[in-house]
Amino acid sequence: MIEIRNLTKIYGTQTVLNIPELKIGKGESFGLVGNNGAGKTTMFRCVLDLIRPNTGTVLSMNNNVANTETWKHYTGSYLDDGFLIDFLTPEEYFRFVADVYQLSAGDLEIFYHDFEDFFNNEVLGKRKLIRNLSSGNRQKIGIAAALMPKPEILVLDEPFNSLDPTTQIRLKTILKSWQKEKEITMLISSHDLNHIKEVCNRIVILHEGIMVQDLVTNPDTLRVLEEYFAVKG
Amino acid sequence: MFFKFLSLQIKTATRSPMWQKNLALNLVIGFFLLLFALYLLMLGLFIHKIMNEMLPHQDHLRVFNGILLYYFLGDLLIRFLMQSLPVLTIESFLHLPVRKGTIIRYMIGRTFFDVLNFLPLFILIPVTFTIVIPHEGGMRASLWISTLIILVLSNNLLVIYLKRLLGVKPAVVGVLGLLFISLIVLDRTNLISLSGISSKGFDYIMHHPVLALLPVCWLIFTYRLQYQFLSKHLYPDEMQKKKAEEIHDRAESRFLKSMGLTGSIISLEFKLYLRNKRTKTILYMAPVFLLYGLIFYPQPIYHKQDGFLLFVGVFMTGGMMLNYANYAFGYESGYFDGLLTKNIDFNRYIHVKYYISVLICTVFYILTIPYLFYGYKILLINTAMYLYNIGVLSFVLLYFATFNKKRIDLSRGGAFNYQGIGAMNWLALLPAFILPLLIYLPFRMSGHPYMGIAFTGFLGILGLFFAKFFIRLITKSFYQRKYIMAGSFREK
Repeated sequence: MIEIRNLTKIYGTQTVLNIPELKIGKGESFGLVGNNGAGKTTMFRCVLDLIRPNTGTVLSMNNNVANTETWKHYTGSYLDDGFLIDFLTPEEYFRFVADVYQLSAGDLEIFYHDFEDFFNNEVLGKRKLIRNLSSGNRQKIGIAAALMPKPEILVLDEPFNSLDPTTQIRLKTILKSWQKEKEITMLISSHDLNHIKEVCNRIVILHEGIMVQDLVTNPDTLRVLEEYFAVKG
Repeated sequence: MFFKFLSLQIKTATRSPMWQKNLALNLVIGFFLLLFALYLLMLGLFIHKIMNEMLPHQDHLRVFNGILLYYFLGDLLIRFLMQSLPVLTIESFLHLPVRKGTIIRYMIGRTFFDVLNFLPLFILIPVTFTIVIPHEGGMRASLWISTLIILVLSNNLLVIYLKRLLGVKPAVVGVLGLLFISLIVLDRTNLISLSGISSKGFDYIMHHPVLALLPVCWLIFTYRLQYQFLSKHLYPDEMQKKKAEEIHDRAESRFLKSMGLTGSIISLEFKLYLRNKRTKTILYMAPVFLLYGLIFYPQPIYHKQDGFLLFVGVFMTGGMMLNYANYAFGYESGYFDGLLTKNIDFNRYIHVKYYISVLICTVFYILTIPYLFYGYKILLINTAMYLYNIGVLSFVLLYFATFNKKRIDLSRGGAFNYQGIGAMNWLALLPAFILPLLIYLPFRMSGHPYMGIAFTGFLGILGLFFAKFFIRLITKSFYQRKYIMAGSFREK
């Protein structure tokens, strides 16, 4: 699904990302962990064509993301607040996203129904602008909007941040079931090793822009991760 | 403690990325402020000579005293509109062992350092020497000037108190506003004479030093007023007058809905303008663009200066569009990443932006039609300028908008707000005001001014035929510059 070749990003004299090769297959749930400044967000931004890498390419279904736009049809993403239009109400924002992906009013109804539990009565029908909602609720909106078009590829940057425990569990359930039933390819980063171990079947540790470990999740993974970061700390 | 706070505040200002990026702009603003202060100084130094010329047989001091009350009332109004509430991020101090009184005293104290408190001195101090001392001698003059300085400072405290009160008890401020207006109306209808009260009042104070205690009491009163208000409301959530905006989820208009994505982009742009502070200020200013004509058209001299009329025409029919198109992408800096990752056809997106520009120009053009009253030539020029705006200027501005490189913070007011305005935005204004003149001048010099006006309009029509081509150029530039735009919009 996604193939990264010889990707580097340099700011000034500092190389913040350097990935010679990385292939993420269809249906794979790819987890990215690493301390602050490891290059996680930079990598996701390259995948989403939001920054121009110094060298290399990102291919999505064999198309270079920088030269084509077809990948936007089947890719849902939420990196940060910069994806939300904060002067809209959640409903207006969802309607805008639905219009962009040419979803019908019926599709939108189904979407609201599917995410009713996830929103937990805190998002819809509040007559509030997104900018006046708490950061947890904004995060919910962003993630839900990314999932709305039923993407084949999903990119989420630290999705569990500022979510309450209930919502964290619900999000994990959603991600796992979507992966099983719809075979979507997921790229998820997180600081929470427990979450990432639960959701992802492949975990990559990034350190100073370089992939230092590439693990297939097994019962032993959490220990390996904890050991790695304990030494780093 | 006071100085520790002050140094923190200075650091906040100088270390903010805005300051460093806008250093040049700050210097320019500083320069103009200095220039303005210089003008005031000149006025202060020479006002007695001006009065000698214009009002040779009147008592200058009395005339000047008569103006003072108006000045202080006007000062209240200007301050109310312009002076910003000093924000000390008190959250970071409330939990520390700092006495609340110290914080409050600092918050009040630093408001005295506002430019608006210093500017009047540039005129008042020279006047003390040129008018008051020759009339009344040193003692009374010093009484006079200290009274005025105390009143300036009281105004400062009063306005800030009222602005704070606005967040808590808007009704009280409204009533005071009505009182203010009725005072002006009473004066205008000659029922009371503010100038009379003013000149007698200040005269009295000079001759009865005991009365000078009155302004002093007033100053203490305004200070206490504010001190008490702050000590009661020293909680972060009460300091900000953040009313939870309640939005009624009205159904989108059916017309916009039927247009699909185009419709939702248009409705997004409308909401952008209506729901953000910065853009709202610009909407409030929109009528000013239209009134521009009223300033110039009634005076026959301007009717012979076609160049000037062209300028007024461009400005009235295009002023609003100018703001829209100049920051077409900068205004979206808050959610630009979100737009880029969605499957939006940006050629169509920019088409929509162009249509909105045309729509804005058209509305303003229609509103300027009544100026026909001042002669058909005005209508002719405005029509030509309207065509130029929609057929040439909109494209130029949208093209320059792809060079937007600064995040615009929409939550701050727009008047005198230069945050997020870059060199390119200023540069984009050149074609707005100079190009029509350059096109027109050769015709004028060869003795066919009307041909020149017609030709400017004709260029506009020509531009309309090439709309698709121009928009393709803009889209191309958009794709080339999107990384730069997105990157700089991310920088807060």
